[in-house]
Amino acid sequence: MTLRLQLRQPPALRVDARVLAPGALAALSLADVQRLCLPHGREPLPLAELFDVERAGGDDDALVLAGDLRRFDGVGAGMASGSLEVDGAVGDSAGLGMSGGRLVIRGAARDLVACSMRGGWLEVHGDIGDFAASALPGDRDGMRGGTLVVRGRAGARLADRMRRGTVVVHGDSGDFTASRMVAGTLAIGGRCGAHAGWGMRRGTLVFAGEAPAPPPTFVGMQGDVRVFWQLLARDLERFGAPFAGLARRDVRRFAGDIAVDGRGEWLVPAT
Amino acid sequence: MRVRGVDIDDSFAEAFPMKATRLVVTAHDPAWAMHAGVAATGFATSVIACGCEAGIERVLAPAETPDGRPGVALLMFAMSGKELAKQVERRVGQCVLTCPTTAVFAGLADGEPIALGRNLRFFGDGWQTAKVIGGVRYWRVPVMDGEFVAQETTPVVKAVGGGNLLLLATGTAEALAGAQAAADAMRRVPNVILPFPGGVVRSGSKVGSRYAGLLASTNDAFCPALANLVPHTALTDDVRCVLEIVIDGLAEADVSAAMRAGIDAIAARGAEAGVRRISAGNYGGKLGPYHFHLRRLMGEVAL
Repeated sequence: MTLRLQLRQPPALRVDARVLAPGALAALSLADVQRLCLPHGREPLPLAELFDVERAGGDDDALVLAGDLRRFDGVGAGMASGSLEVDGAVGDSAGLGMSGGRLVIRGAARDLVACSMRGGWLEVHGDIGDFAASALPGDRDGMRGGTLVVRGRAGARLADRMRRGTVVVHGDSGDFTASRMVAGTLAIGGRCGAHAGWGMRRGTLVFAGEAPAPPPTFVGMQGDVRVFWQLLARDLERFGAPFAGLARRDVRRFAGDIAVDGRGEWLVPAT
Repeated sequence: MRVRGVDIDDSFAEAFPMKATRLVVTAHDPAWAMHAGVAATGFATSVIACGCEAGIERVLAPAETPDGRPGVALLMFAMSGKELAKQVERRVGQCVLTCPTTAVFAGLADGEPIALGRNLRFFGDGWQTAKVIGGVRYWRVPVMDGEFVAQETTPVVKAVGGGNLLLLATGTAEALAGAQAAADAMRRVPNVILPFPGGVVRSGSKVGSRYAGLLASTNDAFCPALANLVPHTALTDDVRCVLEIVIDGLAEADVSAAMRAGIDAIAARGAEAGVRRISAGNYGGKLGPYHFHLRRLMGEVAL
């Protein structure tokens, strides 16, 4: 049966929520779940003081959190399996380092969504903040696997130092999108801010919406890439509008950032 | 057993375990895909001296391929996974990579992976890039006509090689016509190839030889020229020409289906068309684990 946690009221200080993992909690009795402690400021707080707990219908390895969790950081951090759904907004570092399973946030998230993500599926229905799919301080690269889907808008430095995996944003994306990107695929449905692809080494940036003008360190690439475009575009189409019909659009290609490795690419489908 | 006048021998084909993979080669149009397919499966009639046995399984429509372009499906069979890996790398590297506009993908979903694009990527001299799409890695190598896209690996499965039919006919023209009709019907069966030229082999062999070092020699029991000279001939006076069709298939059921399709095609023409009898080649049943009994294929129940 699915474990459901209903927030009683927003906490006074920020809470580290990484202990709320579907797999781990599924193994505990309701009483043990209520006794779990979450870091709240400098003090640990028993879960029962923050949430009403019940088990109801649904899968065993599923966890539902409901309420305004904007002060909860690290929701789904380190998740390896199972399903975690949030009916509400969350704080920073949602899905930090997750390696599997499915995390769906039906509200907004703040900074560092999917930071260092290794695998699994992370979906945010609302807007997200800065440095999504990026690297932890001190790490050489960021997100290195899995899929991040954002239905709303993304902030600045999206996919900073991203290494592998797929990031899809339906809405707009902020400044310095794909900065220092190492590899992976990022598709944007809306508009994009300034300085996209700054220091991009490899990787693919698909502008399904309005594409920015390529900067001087991105050069045009002639040559037929239709085979690769069909493979990629068909895969992106499954994310729905604004990527519907992507494979039927002709594509222009730019290589860069030639100030660094320069094997990255911008794919700009025709309107 | 006799079907429309054609005798079906109480015999069986003896076949062997092999390792196989399927490759999907696409190109700008069907003609160029065929050029690549023909080249890649050339000189692959027998593992005795060709390294592998390979053929074009069928033509693929654009709707059937990963990139939506016309293509061909190739099947390759070898005695070991290691030899198959070597053959795939060489043939794809020399005959598919080189052919204009091609791309190559794995044609099976499950199996032990061997390198496909993984080792060919170095041709890009550092300019190659990879992309993981849907959990599968593809390599992209810049070449003069654009990009050569190759899936990183292809799965290898256990397969069956050496299913066969021996067609005993009244003359050369009759044997050829019958063999062609049978081969056409057998090629329509999925998951099989007929590795010999035109699908037919004239130099059927037996195990052993009077010469030390020769593992196989002419199948004298089925040579018309020796019918009155060897005591163990399988031929009667009216047989002037014998041709063999060899089948490699992904599974036992596929080889059975192909052999049945061949027999049906011969029987449909009737004995008056010239193929009077159908037999099959085996080694006494001691070498190969797969036995395809002709009469059982035709629905005769074993007593």
